[in-house]
Amino acid sequence: MTFPKFERPQFQVIRADTLPLSSEALLDLMSAVLTKGVPFRFYAKGWSMAPFIKDGDVITISPLKSKPVTVGEVLAFRHPQLEKLVVHRSIAKQGAAVLIRGDHVENYADGLVPMDDIIGRVTKIERNKRQIWIGLGPERYMIAWLSRFNLLIPLYNWLSKFTRCRGRKKNA
Amino acid sequence: MTEIISGNIFAPSDDIVAREIEGELIIVPLVAGIGDMEDELFTLNETGKEIWRLLNGKNTLDEVVVALSSKYNAQPGEIEEDVVGLVQELTNRRILIDVSQI
Repeated sequence: MTFPKFERPQFQVIRADTLPLSSEALLDLMSAVLTKGVPFRFYAKGWSMAPFIKDGDVITISPLKSKPVTVGEVLAFRHPQLEKLVVHRSIAKQGAAVLIRGDHVENYADGLVPMDDIIGRVTKIERNKRQIWIGLGPERYMIAWLSRFNLLIPLYNWLSKFTRCRGRKKNA
Repeated sequence: MTEIISGNIFAPSDDIVAREIEGELIIVPLVAGIGDMEDELFTLNETGKEIWRLLNGKNTLDEVVVALSSKYNAQPGEIEEDVVGLVQELTNRRILIDVSQI
C-alpha cells in the first residue's frame, strides 16, 4: 500500500488579477460571496456594456436581497445558454423573467432570464479609481428603452461622431 | 496572537468565503463587508487543503493530526508542528477561529 507524501502545508497570498479565473469560476466565487449577503467587487472584462461599463472597470455586484429587479438595472446572471457569468442590463420584465441585453450588443438580447439565474445587481462602477455615476441612476430607464428598440447603439455612434467632429473643430 | 492548544477546535471564520475552484482552494476575506478581488486572496497547497477540510468545527486539533498521520502514514509527532504552524498563521489572519469556547 502506498501513502501520499506529507509535504509541509503552505499558505500563499495571491493577487486576484494574477489568478486566471474562468467565467464559471468567477461565477461560483461571486455566488458564494453574495449568498452571504455581502457585495462582490471585481474587474469587468469585455466591451458589451460600453460606454457605461468598459473593459478593466471595477464593478461592485450587490445581492438582490428582497428588493425586486427593475427595468434598467445592470444585473449579474448565469447566462441561460452559455452557462457563464454575464453582466448586462435588464430592458423589460415579463412575468417572473427579465429580458436582458448588453448596452453595446447589436441585434441580440440574452433572452428571458429566469429570476433564479440572476445573482446580483451592479451598484458601483469605478474607472481609474473614480466612481462612474452615469448608467445606474434614473437615466437607466431611458437607456433600457433605447436598447429595447435598437436605438441605443445608433445614438451612441452618432454622439461619438458628433463629439469627434467638435474636437477636431476645436483643435483646428 | 491566539495560543494554539491541541485540544481546541477550529473552524473557518464567517468573515471569509472559501471555494475549491478548478482544483485550487481559494479563500476570499470579506474585508469591510465586501468580497474584493482587488484585495489579497489566499490559497493552500495540497496538504494545506487536507488540513483545511479537517478543520470543520468538529475535530480537535489532536484529532486532525491523528487523521493526517494515518492518511500520510507519518508519526503524529512528525507532522504536528507543521499543522500547528498553519493553524497559527490562519488564526492570526482571522481566516480560522477557535470555536472551542463558543
